[in-house]
Amino acid sequence: MTVSALRLNPAKMVTQKTAPYLFLVPVLLFGLVFFALPLVASLYLSFTSWNSLVAPRWIGLANYEHLFTRDPLFLKTLLNTLVFTVGVVGIGVPASLLLAGVFSRSRYQALWRSIYSLPMVTNVVAVGFIWWFVLADPWGVLNRLLALIGIAGPAWLNDPSTAMIAVVMVFVWMHLGQNMLLFSAGLGAIDESLHEAARIDGASEARIFWSITLPLLRPTILFVLITSVITAISYFALILVLTEGGPVNSTNVTALYIYGMAFTDLRLGRASAAAYVLLVVIFLVSLLQLRVLRRGGVEAY
Amino acid sequence: MRMLSHKAKTAQADLPKPRDATNAGTTAAHARTGRKWAVWIVKYGILSLGAVIMILPFADMLIGALRTPVERLARPPVYWPAIPQWHNFIRAFTDLPMLAWLTNSVIVTGAITVVQLVTSALAGFALAKYRFRGQNLILRIVLVAQIFPFFLFIIPMFFILRYWPFAGGNDWLGQGGTGLLDSYLALILPFAVSWYGVFLMRQFMLTVPDELLDAARIDGASEFGLFWRIALPLVRPGMVTLGLLVWIYHWNEVIWTMTVTRAAPELQTVTVGIQLLRSEFFDERNQSLQQAALAVSVIPVIVLFLCLQRFYVRGLSMGSLKG
Repeated sequence: MTVSALRLNPAKMVTQKTAPYLFLVPVLLFGLVFFALPLVASLYLSFTSWNSLVAPRWIGLANYEHLFTRDPLFLKTLLNTLVFTVGVVGIGVPASLLLAGVFSRSRYQALWRSIYSLPMVTNVVAVGFIWWFVLADPWGVLNRLLALIGIAGPAWLNDPSTAMIAVVMVFVWMHLGQNMLLFSAGLGAIDESLHEAARIDGASEARIFWSITLPLLRPTILFVLITSVITAISYFALILVLTEGGPVNSTNVTALYIYGMAFTDLRLGRASAAAYVLLVVIFLVSLLQLRVLRRGGVEAY
Repeated sequence: MRMLSHKAKTAQADLPKPRDATNAGTTAAHARTGRKWAVWIVKYGILSLGAVIMILPFADMLIGALRTPVERLARPPVYWPAIPQWHNFIRAFTDLPMLAWLTNSVIVTGAITVVQLVTSALAGFALAKYRFRGQNLILRIVLVAQIFPFFLFIIPMFFILRYWPFAGGNDWLGQGGTGLLDSYLALILPFAVSWYGVFLMRQFMLTVPDELLDAARIDGASEFGLFWRIALPLVRPGMVTLGLLVWIYHWNEVIWTMTVTRAAPELQTVTVGIQLLRSEFFDERNQSLQQAALAVSVIPVIVLFLCLQRFYVRGLSMGSLKG
């Protein structure tokens, strides 16, 4: 860029050196106002007592102390979050892997893909109510079907002992298609000739799956596991619609508890502290998964 | 996706052909064909069972939407409506503010989609096609920021919008008014940038050849011209992918919209609208109408998805394979 070019055309004042910064201005501004500022603000709020009506009052670590020593419900929601996460990951990930395995070897893929994608493009409120009718209605279709084979179904969502099972089932149903598509894309990227070579050497299909497919699928498994765990730990929209955390807090997970603490009870400082606790949990669990899966290989999984 | 369709073709060879069995005539061939059939039955058995489980709740909703209140109130309720009550779908528009909800959904979702496409494409182009100081740092932030779950931002974002200076009657300190909370901006601004979108567009922009950009530079194109005239047309499929992902995600978003519109009913979108019917859902006389309303909220997204699903699948897998 010569000086004369600068004078002639204002558009040319954007040089190859300055252009990337200009293109990044929206992202950087957003990152400051809607990413960095909220993180700092809620860290500050977590050390205060604040009900949004009067100015925040600094109370140091009292919020954290309260959560861990004087709030049994918070600890119960952490346990519920653990049960929910183990449930949805433990059922959902193997199920979607199995489905991806058969899906990627089948015909009419466009048809199967369309059907299995229906739940993941449906809004969570509709999912919640659709399943509410299936499960909670005394004449719901699931218990009607169970009655046909002679089983008296439980009152799924109204019974503290089955509500969590029902919520896990619906969540798995909602995310099955997405994980299946991710796994089948991963399977599609594996070189088919490796399988052929193993087959010629006389390896059984089970052996091929364990020794070739799974190790090569590791990046996808890692991705699906980590995103599933993060989603499960921080999830509450479906539970809000289906059970609102009930009955008797049997489905009350930490993220839902935090939301209520903030916008119903207006305990914004304590809610911010609880949110940070959950964030730390998410980080630790993600790091642990990365280490285990990187070091131990897929056998660990 | 080409890979998958290729596999679909080779899978046809897996299909057992009964005629081969009779021609071969040996027991070994019979056993092999028998096993192939068993595999075939298990394979399609699993897929079909899963498909029924996927569809059943939707079917239950549609059947419910076609009942009369009398059928619902009978003990036990009549499951199959004698005469399908199609006008329940019209009533979803006449008896509920469905049109206002849908309008808000279209405005908010459309604005978020357009803004995110612009910000993601610009940032993705900068991160993929330039070398500059701070580039690696920004790229790392884009990757790490995706891990932060949204619930962490709900409280602080709400109050950032509430105390936005010079908006909604606020003074320069953000006091005195309601800030941006009563406007569409409250539903759009927090989603003006998505880290995932920036990352996805960077991946697509990497495929734009540098030689093309350099040639255009020599021909005197401006840097913005390179972006607008060369890079954007080349990544159009990527834009469709991202646009579809964003549209579906934000059409279905409920937590943030619910939080913000609690005090501003005129901004409610269709997902929040049907959530507000919650208490009415327990009244069995209204259930058919509400199931119709659910269907109205769901069907536009399903239709859009079915038309553009190949783009959606690509977006999903790009996030996993290259991330």
